[in-house]
Amino acid sequence: MQKINRNVVLALLSLTSLVFLLFQLCYYKFYLSQKNGAAFSKVRGSQSGQDSTRWHVVRKFLGLISSHNIPVYLIDPLILGLVGKDIEQIRSSPDGPSPECKYFCAPRDFTTFALLDKTWKHDVGLFRAAEKMGFQWLKIINKDPRLDGMDDLSGMEIPLHYIFKLASHAIHLVVFYERSGNFLWHGPLRLKQHMDRKFVPFRKLHFGRYPGAYEKPELLLVSIDDLKVQIPKNPSIFLEEMSHSRFLECRYREARAFFQLYPDDASLDAVEFRKKAKSLLHLAALTLNNLGVTFWLSSGTCLGWYRQCNVIPHSKDVDLGIFIRDYKADIIPAFQKAGLPLKHKFGKVEDSLELSFQGEDDVKLDIFFFYEENDHMWNGGTQAKSGKKFKYLFPKFTLCWTEFVELKVHVPCETLQYVEANYGPEWKVPVKTWDWKSSPFNVQDNGVWPIDEWDNVIQIY
Amino acid sequence: MEEWKPNPAVKPHKKRSWYLAWKYKLMNQRALRKLCQTGAVLFLLVTVIVNIKLILDTRRAAYEEEEESAQDYDDEMLNVEVPRHPVNNKKVLDVEVYSSRSKVYVAVDGTTVLEDEAREQGRGIHVIVLNQATGHVMAKRVFDTYSPHEDEAMVLFLNMVARGRILIFTIKDEGSFHLKETAKNVLKSLGSQVAPFLSWRDMWTFVGKKGGEVYGEKHAKSPALSTWGDPVLLKTEVHLTSVEDAECHWPDTELNRRRKRFCSKVEGYGSVCSCKDPTPIEFNPDPLKDNKVFDVPVAVIAGNRPNYLYRMLRSLLSAQGVNPQMITVFIDGYYEEPMDVVELFGLSGIQHTPISIKNARVSQHYKASLTATFNLFPDAKFAVVLEEDLDISVDFFSFLSQSIHLLEEDDSLYCISAWNDQGYEHTAEDPSLLYRVETMPGLGWVLRKSLYKDELEPKWPTPEKLWDWDMWMRMPEQRKGRECIIPDISRSYHFGIVGLNMNGYFHEAYFKKHKFNTVPNVQLKNVESLRKDNYETEIHRLLGEAEVLDHSKNPCEDSFVPDTEGKVYVMFIRMEQEADFTTWTQLAKCLHIWDLDVRGNHKGLWRLFRKKNHFLVVGVPASPYSSKKPSSVTPIYMQPPAKEEGAVAVPAVAAAEQT
Repeated sequence: MQKINRNVVLALLSLTSLVFLLFQLCYYKFYLSQKNGAAFSKVRGSQSGQDSTRWHVVRKFLGLISSHNIPVYLIDPLILGLVGKDIEQIRSSPDGPSPECKYFCAPRDFTTFALLDKTWKHDVGLFRAAEKMGFQWLKIINKDPRLDGMDDLSGMEIPLHYIFKLASHAIHLVVFYERSGNFLWHGPLRLKQHMDRKFVPFRKLHFGRYPGAYEKPELLLVSIDDLKVQIPKNPSIFLEEMSHSRFLECRYREARAFFQLYPDDASLDAVEFRKKAKSLLHLAALTLNNLGVTFWLSSGTCLGWYRQCNVIPHSKDVDLGIFIRDYKADIIPAFQKAGLPLKHKFGKVEDSLELSFQGEDDVKLDIFFFYEENDHMWNGGTQAKSGKKFKYLFPKFTLCWTEFVELKVHVPCETLQYVEANYGPEWKVPVKTWDWKSSPFNVQDNGVWPIDEWDNVIQIY
Repeated sequence: MEEWKPNPAVKPHKKRSWYLAWKYKLMNQRALRKLCQTGAVLFLLVTVIVNIKLILDTRRAAYEEEEESAQDYDDEMLNVEVPRHPVNNKKVLDVEVYSSRSKVYVAVDGTTVLEDEAREQGRGIHVIVLNQATGHVMAKRVFDTYSPHEDEAMVLFLNMVARGRILIFTIKDEGSFHLKETAKNVLKSLGSQVAPFLSWRDMWTFVGKKGGEVYGEKHAKSPALSTWGDPVLLKTEVHLTSVEDAECHWPDTELNRRRKRFCSKVEGYGSVCSCKDPTPIEFNPDPLKDNKVFDVPVAVIAGNRPNYLYRMLRSLLSAQGVNPQMITVFIDGYYEEPMDVVELFGLSGIQHTPISIKNARVSQHYKASLTATFNLFPDAKFAVVLEEDLDISVDFFSFLSQSIHLLEEDDSLYCISAWNDQGYEHTAEDPSLLYRVETMPGLGWVLRKSLYKDELEPKWPTPEKLWDWDMWMRMPEQRKGRECIIPDISRSYHFGIVGLNMNGYFHEAYFKKHKFNTVPNVQLKNVESLRKDNYETEIHRLLGEAEVLDHSKNPCEDSFVPDTEGKVYVMFIRMEQEADFTTWTQLAKCLHIWDLDVRGNHKGLWRLFRKKNHFLVVGVPASPYSSKKPSSVTPIYMQPPAKEEGAVAVPAVAAAEQT
């Protein structure tokens, strides 16, 4: 009896485990293959030969837009990734027929194209023609951020994304706008209430989770898979740019509220200072960008951007942050060449480095180098007369793009934490008297430089 | 997962036989067997548990992702669309019309569509046009027929209204003094019995269909010159027609769709809504060869004068070399009708919440519009600034295309303007001629981005300062000695009669007779001579060539200038210092040119035409060109009239040029 029981139990358990295993397999097939579509269905694709539906949809779409004279270019990360590997070959044989459908048949749910807003006329005819060809389309519009910073202007809403769907494939057309600061911007994709949430699996789109900022791309007309299409001249650089393209809009509404509470300083001095700070920032950005050094707005300049979308007129200097890993010895000569002599240099590359350059008149450019620890970042300060060291702690942050005084610059994405760390919870209240050694919320004493190092770590010009 | 692989391969009964074989083999090793069995059971149990956990985990992960992404892509603002009013299926409208000395109102189905009881405002005949199918108000106008020429405007308007529309008339205060025969006949033809006999301070209301039936009319005669007629209240019913009857049947194109939307909403635009042979709304003028201003944004500054805007945009879109995509219309206020006009032409429009009052409101609107223009077109180095009450010359863009490089290269320039303040019919002659002037004329001009961004925008007058933006721009602190380039014959025409600083009399005196270029593709003469130093050479050459006029004659008289053509003459007037314009102002007055403030001067020199001769006026001794005066000539001095009322009037109306 006991023996039979045991056997039965064993058999039952084996059965259940088998059932579960089968279930698991199914689960993988239906859920996971959906999630990692690329990796999994690639295998399937190669088994069933080429999936030409996607290619056909893309071909139809390209036909549609070229018949309306709309210049689009390919920004699909999957395809550009594939193209990037073969770029030399593609460049060298722009017209050659391709033996197999290598790129546009690659498994995916979308093909993403970009459109420069100013190059087309918002022609309604396009959509009628698209419908005639069997496309279903969706337009996502929203407020124009270029007018958002302005008091009480209400422009027409602008199209940010279009999605054209045909059969099982969809084309995602991202509309790029030119912004002050000589860069391109695309908006976030946000569905309004009445919109069809199931139109396409939105969360799989490569563009639209956040707004993005890009350089104006150089384009290249290529023929891939027998389709003529424009692509960014260097796909891998584009993909690299895409991976950290997230853009933050300035908080214009909050800035307006701030100016309601604390009216802006419109004195001649303030106007002059802002003008100088702006040109200094432009010069600094040009210099650092030429060196390929990533920098961001820090301290007072960052606070000005975050709180009032402008330079704080009583701040008297421009502050930038740079990760110490991006430090280059060329930085100082490059600034000097640009007409900004070194004013002082505190610390050393290994510890608490800080550079100060003398701009026009009394405006100073401070560059703080940030050191990364396991759970925080910090930059250092040095008091020249006593050799005292200070440390300013920040929670870890990543970098986002923003537009500031007609410039595309980085700011910490986690700006609020950054500003709060630096200025405390009362950062919204303007403070005119500021002592860099005691006022910051995150300042810590960090000992004293050994006297024998002073010549090196305290350099004043 | 790998470790479970062996299991599924084995089917249950197979497993069993394998197990049995194994059992016999290990029969004697009970302990070992037991251990194996327990191990197997444990292993199976663990498999089950791991499986369940896996399922739960993936489930939750999937669910969370769904949640998260749904939030990501949701619009944070709940844009709940306001449900449209249900279509009114009612076939009859109740209309109430009231006319009295101090108040008029019109109510349609209980909704007040007009109410005016403001003092000293809204005098005259109020006209409302209703759509005969929907009952919507399509136009609202008031014609102050107490004043001259307003009746002509009313006739023009009534003629433009499509047949079949419902017209409602009511008089506030007085509407008959300048109501001429023609206008009365038009009203009569609409079915009014009273109109021909309307007289001083009568009250009158009338409702009728254009070209159709009369729904009601009421009239109260004024008993005496000093009193008004009794208030009248007319209540009547209007029968609506079907929508099909109220619309035209144009071919279904994109343009006509725009036209239809426009024509079913507003009235008073004449042939654009004509069913037969409507006037085009797309113009496709010839493109300009080598157009240097194709990518320059055009900001049209507008208020609530939709008819003006309509006329302005027509002329702008007909100008050669226009690029409609670069045009943005900035409307000061949330007015619907100007926006309708903008949409009719397929342009983009931006509305601006009014800030402050009067001149400051205009000034704030300018600032917002200019900032927005440079935001929307970040690549632009310039912006063309236009106003809604300007006609634009056919060669406007050609003129700018030929001259814009000067603004880019010559730092001593402040702007390029299409307007010559002194370019009247009798004082402007040469469409290819350009001047440099120290005053900024505005009225169709080009602004350099760097000037705006670096200098003007940061210190633009704040809303509480009731300044005119253009007067502010002319102040020496802003202009800093820079000059504007203007054409001899203006490339814009100021037709606005209604405006902040504008009225009919003023317009007639200073704007009506302004010369306006209508010749296409004018090749500008010697553009390079407009550069700072070249211009001095040019002036000296001109003065050297000029014949000195007979200074004993009266410069106001026609005979002052000989009856020649194409010659250059010079006269010298007294000008003690740079700001002494006494004689110039008197001369300007008698020449019937702009005399409200000083315009069009360049270092104490004015250039204009008289009798088709180039006519130079030099202020001596303030002007550096005084040296060209022969010693025998005494500069002419003209005394201002004894009564100094002009001095008081100037500040009040000087601003009036911009509206």
